[in-house]
Amino acid sequence: MEKGPANPEVKEKVLAYLDTVEKAKSKEIAAKIGVPKGDVDLAVKELAMEDKVEYLYITTTFVALKGKVKPPQ
Amino acid sequence: MPDKKTPKLDELEHGPWPSFVTEIKKAAIRNESAKDLLNLLERSYDDKRGHWKHGGIVGVRGYGGGVIGRYTDLPEEYPHVAEFHTMRINAPSAWFYKTETLRTLCDIWEKHGSGLTNVHGSTGDLIFLGMKTEELQKTYDELSDAGFDLGGSGSCLRSPSCCVGPARCESACYDTLALCYDLTNSYQDELHRPMWPYKFKFKMSGCANDCVAAIARADCSIIGTWRDSIQVDQDQVKAYAESGLDIQGMVCDKCPTRALKYDHEKKELHVIAEDCSRCMHCINVMPKAVRPGKEKGATILLGGKSTIVQSAFLSWVIVPFMKMEPPYTEFKEMVARIWDWWDENGKTRERLGELIYRLGMTKFLREVGLPPVPQMVFRPRANPYVFWPQDEIVK
Amino acid sequence: MSKIDGGPPDYKKLLPPIITENYGQWKYHEIPRAGVLKHVSEKGYALYSVRVGSPRLVSIDYIRDICALADSYCDGYLRFTSRNNVEFLVSDEAKVEPLIKELEAKGYPIGGVGNALSNIVHTQGWVHCHTPATDASGIVKAVMDDLYEYFGRTDLPAKLKVAMACCLNMCGAVHCSDVAILGVHRTPPRVDHEKIRKGTEIPTLVAACPTGAIRPDPKNKSVVVNEERCMYCGNCYTMSPAMEILDAKNDGIAILVGGKVSNARTAPSFSRLVIPFLPNNPPRWPEVTAAVRHIVETWLNNARKGERVGEWIERIGWERFFSLTEIPFTDKHIDDFIFSRETFRTTAAFKY
Repeated sequence: MEKGPANPEVKEKVLAYLDTVEKAKSKEIAAKIGVPKGDVDLAVKELAMEDKVEYLYITTTFVALKGKVKPPQ
Repeated sequence: MPDKKTPKLDELEHGPWPSFVTEIKKAAIRNESAKDLLNLLERSYDDKRGHWKHGGIVGVRGYGGGVIGRYTDLPEEYPHVAEFHTMRINAPSAWFYKTETLRTLCDIWEKHGSGLTNVHGSTGDLIFLGMKTEELQKTYDELSDAGFDLGGSGSCLRSPSCCVGPARCESACYDTLALCYDLTNSYQDELHRPMWPYKFKFKMSGCANDCVAAIARADCSIIGTWRDSIQVDQDQVKAYAESGLDIQGMVCDKCPTRALKYDHEKKELHVIAEDCSRCMHCINVMPKAVRPGKEKGATILLGGKSTIVQSAFLSWVIVPFMKMEPPYTEFKEMVARIWDWWDENGKTRERLGELIYRLGMTKFLREVGLPPVPQMVFRPRANPYVFWPQDEIVK
Repeated sequence: MSKIDGGPPDYKKLLPPIITENYGQWKYHEIPRAGVLKHVSEKGYALYSVRVGSPRLVSIDYIRDICALADSYCDGYLRFTSRNNVEFLVSDEAKVEPLIKELEAKGYPIGGVGNALSNIVHTQGWVHCHTPATDASGIVKAVMDDLYEYFGRTDLPAKLKVAMACCLNMCGAVHCSDVAILGVHRTPPRVDHEKIRKGTEIPTLVAACPTGAIRPDPKNKSVVVNEERCMYCGNCYTMSPAMEILDAKNDGIAILVGGKVSNARTAPSFSRLVIPFLPNNPPRWPEVTAAVRHIVETWLNNARKGERVGEWIERIGWERFFSLTEIPFTDKHIDDFIFSRETFRTTAAFKY
């Protein structure tokens, strides 16, 4: 299932949106920045490899800017 | 620090069944985290409550799952389990191993964690139980170099798993191991980078005995079946009769559809093919004499899950019979449509079965393009409240 | 940087040669003795699988030990079952008895094949879960010790599959077992408003409640729980640690029976609640082991050959199950959750 590289513009938009929230699901990001969810998923995959975003599991999986959400105290 | 006493857990070292306490103690000889786990568990046995906090934000680069964060709520008293995370390792199809494979895993785990494992976890992954945050990436890197990969966790495709299938079972109606391996490799993005409302599980059983409980716990259960008639070997029927098996009582009378007739005089078993529902009973009792048919494939069922949130669901039939041969194009195209529909319509933490139940089977079938067939239901609706589509109404 | 998405090891490289040679060509199987399967192929090969129960939570020492056995007797090949058993795959018949002797000498339990009690599938419990109402490994150990004799037999009326889950999430297909042992919470979550204000997403928390018992409380920037509607599933606690659900005084165990996943004879079915509550009594949970033994023995003494627990009960009727076992029937046995009506008796025919 080769999906090719992510669109750099989508990656920038994802980062910009995640800057405005604590965490989000990619479906929500897609709706807010107006691109197909599959493109967001691909952008998030690359951003995670670049250590710019991370996945959080809090009963469902969210994405957030790396380090934005702290582990439990 | 002197060893603490664990009198309650020590009680669980008695008795004939192998003891998990003994296992923790073995690991505790060489590992401080395992020792603290033992002490913390004794504390739980005293307090009658667990002492673990929520998972959270741990993982390895490029993955959105495969690691489950755990922190004790008593880190001052049990510092070596202040971080005690779980790593899920994607197991080979049907859990076949060479000893050298297992030894490699043991050597990696001895270096980086508690030395405790689950073989296996409920989903089917091999579990490394208890590691510090700083060890996660190092452990993954070694695992990856040695040819292993992480399983799924979170709102993703969970690690597919399958029964022993044609590797060692005469009843397997399709190659469960091959399908499991193919789906796992085809859907690496879906497995490793959660992107859905909630989890999604594939479980594969080669026949209706369903040895991996696919129907009870998989959002998509793939259960082997055949479309023609069972095959009966009359010589073997005679052999069973002569060995003393009560064929009338244990086979024919227990056939749920009364599809079998036994001729006592000739010692022959006859099947009324159109009455057989392919439940596996007669094959289970007389495996030498009765075998599945020749036209083999699988029944696809959807929606299985445990209790949370809306009650447990058993998967229900959506495709009575599908050939299950590589490259599985028909199956994968259908799965893609189903995932898109769920992703589009599902609420957070809504499993596929609950979504179909909320929006209706009719809408689901229409929107993913599956034809309605009577095998999908035990019986049709008893109410007349059909939501008629506009294009079927005379304007 | 290490690579990602390598996928699991290729199973084809991990199969013993006898399986590669006879893949998809097995003809039939027999159970020559308790805990042993003999599979015979079209080509006439015979593979012996010797099944051994494990505690599931095992050390690397255990894994190395079974590897040494597999090297001695199985040319280095073994597998695991979905119920946490180890299977030694022996292609040389002459090695079966010596393997069994060594396993017995080392205290490995051999069994779980055919009409036997299989190993109990279970969850993490107090060992590693964050919402448990009880431990899992400890109860499993106590119950398997108590029912040990049935693991190594093949003459039960049918298969006996017991499962254990430590809370109402019911991980691991517990809900379709002959006997299900289930940790239950009985008190509503105690809300820590301070923690909620510190960082719980209130709409997600409200949405997590299956019965709509949690409402936002905008004045306090927190939530309120309608305790009458709470059925203690702990879903909210999974969502937010501010919803403390663990309650040492009231958490305990429920027993459900009669479920199955196989399609043989009857459709797969859920286990049904027969004992709503037993106390948490570590380390050996005597009330639980006694209750499970009592149900199993009532089945053994009353079922016809070939009947799983649920098939036996459906034949005699649940009303007879309660009279035979003398388990008291209470208002807690009557379903009042969302799919309850199908459990109400809509016929005037029944037994006493």
